[in-house]
Amino acid sequence: MNKGWNRIVPYLLIFPSMFLFLLFVLIPVLRIIYLSFTDYTMLQPPVWTGSANYTKLLHDPIFGKAVRNTACYWLGTVLPSMGLGLVLAAVLTLRLKGLAAFRALIYLPGVLSSVAVAMTWLWLLDPLQGPVNRMLSLFGVAGRNWLQSPDTSLGSVIVIGIWTGMGFAMIVLLGGIQGISESLYEAAALDGASGVRQFIHITLPLLQPILLFLFIISTIRSFQVFDLVYILTGGGPANSSTTVVTQIVSASFQDYRMGYASAMSVVLLAVTMAITLLQYKMGSRNSSME
Amino acid sequence: MNSTKTERFTAYLILTVITLLAVLPLLMTFFTSMKGDEEFAAGATRLLPAAWHPSNYIRALQMAEWGLFLKNSVVVTGAAVLGSLIFNTMAGFAFARIRFKGRSLLFLLLLVGLMIPAQVTVIPQFLVLKSIPLFGGNDMFGHGGNGWLDSYYALIVPELSGAFGVFMARQFYLQMPKALDEAAYIDGSGYTRLFFFIYLPLSGPLIATLGIFKFVGVWNDFFHPLIYTNSPAMRTVQLGLQVFRGENQVQYNLLMAATLLVSIPILVMFLLFQKQFIRSAISSSVKG
Repeated sequence: MNKGWNRIVPYLLIFPSMFLFLLFVLIPVLRIIYLSFTDYTMLQPPVWTGSANYTKLLHDPIFGKAVRNTACYWLGTVLPSMGLGLVLAAVLTLRLKGLAAFRALIYLPGVLSSVAVAMTWLWLLDPLQGPVNRMLSLFGVAGRNWLQSPDTSLGSVIVIGIWTGMGFAMIVLLGGIQGISESLYEAAALDGASGVRQFIHITLPLLQPILLFLFIISTIRSFQVFDLVYILTGGGPANSSTTVVTQIVSASFQDYRMGYASAMSVVLLAVTMAITLLQYKMGSRNSSME
Repeated sequence: MNSTKTERFTAYLILTVITLLAVLPLLMTFFTSMKGDEEFAAGATRLLPAAWHPSNYIRALQMAEWGLFLKNSVVVTGAAVLGSLIFNTMAGFAFARIRFKGRSLLFLLLLVGLMIPAQVTVIPQFLVLKSIPLFGGNDMFGHGGNGWLDSYYALIVPELSGAFGVFMARQFYLQMPKALDEAAYIDGSGYTRLFFFIYLPLSGPLIATLGIFKFVGVWNDFFHPLIYTNSPAMRTVQLGLQVFRGENQVQYNLLMAATLLVSIPILVMFLLFQKQFIRSAISSSVKG
């Protein structure tokens, strides 16, 4: 085998991935940072406007609303789905029959497309025919137009977000729990510790790094919520459920304010990267435990 | 973990309640998809259909160009899965098993990519796709036309670049024993043969996990088709579903039938490859 050829082989092997990565990820990121300092409508070349877009963002009431809603979605989905996931994972580690079936059924909503999920809930929450309002009327509670009232639209999307997210949290935590040595539990059982005590004193502390990872990844995902909101409420009514990403999409692909939308994207990128770096820092401190 | 009887009882209770919460909405979707139009018109209140109408599925299929949407989804998903598997394993192998100049720097670049959300790159990606030279009416400088927008390329090519896939592949190949390479070097084979005849045949679990990850991501994707295409001829099933809803607002039985039809490939894959679904969920979470 010819040595010269072997020297270029590694570059040939990484070329397709690296080229596409540069073209579709790295250069786009640099470009969006540049565009965020310009006025750009796609009809004319971008015009440099300095920090004007960012100043505008600070005073844009709709973007402020989008940030608040995204924060609500984050608070409303991440901790509840992690909590549910933790309870489920704890319960599933008991030696129960039908574990695999339970696990699969609970994870099922998480594998469906967001469009399928949205369609399912459009029907369930339909104000006239939907089962949710029907069920409520059995108890004498007046139904509402959940997705189209300003005071319930965001809450409805949050509930649906929990519904799709809990299975994922459960799967990740189950993976973490299975990594904990069985002998610890056996020793604790010999000392007469109950399942609940074993969970609090062994599982939870050892699960900490996984819980942190899960928290970070769910946080980042929640900041990027788009499909559910777009299909279920369109961000409405009266921007009551709009989020950062729906704002990015409407500013760029509906209003063609590419520069302004780029500034929003850069804010999203900066927050995401800050959180990821924080995770690396905390993760490396915890890595002795893995 | 050892448990007492009361603990086991509580455990089953919690599991049953949450499983019902997870599954009941899906069951209702299924039952609704089987209800007849008359039952709806009369104000259906029962959970189960009064009479079963499997023909709803055929009617739903006929009400939109589902054949076309399905074909688009199959072509796009198939090409993205196949292409990304080839590219990811190639690059992952090189990064894990070959020493070459610039390796750590290039890999570091890729790691940065893991932190970048798709929602952030969508605007510049759109601009790149729009200005691909000599395509879609563009001149050789990428001006004048629509480039790759509104074509299969726009839905496939960006999916082939995956920092995550390369990263996973590298992790997988790093775990392989050194003896593998040594045996091959003694035989006098180069890296290409080493990769294609030794590493690739051993990559089953990696390919399954990466393949499932890509399959779910692309089949379920709504965001990119929504932004990169606009002609009805380019619609994937997810977009088709969204449009179908707009056109047939009240006919929930047909809408639910279409929803389930679009989900069947995912459900079948999930039943067949549960282990890989779970593994890809875990690895995607642990490494961002």
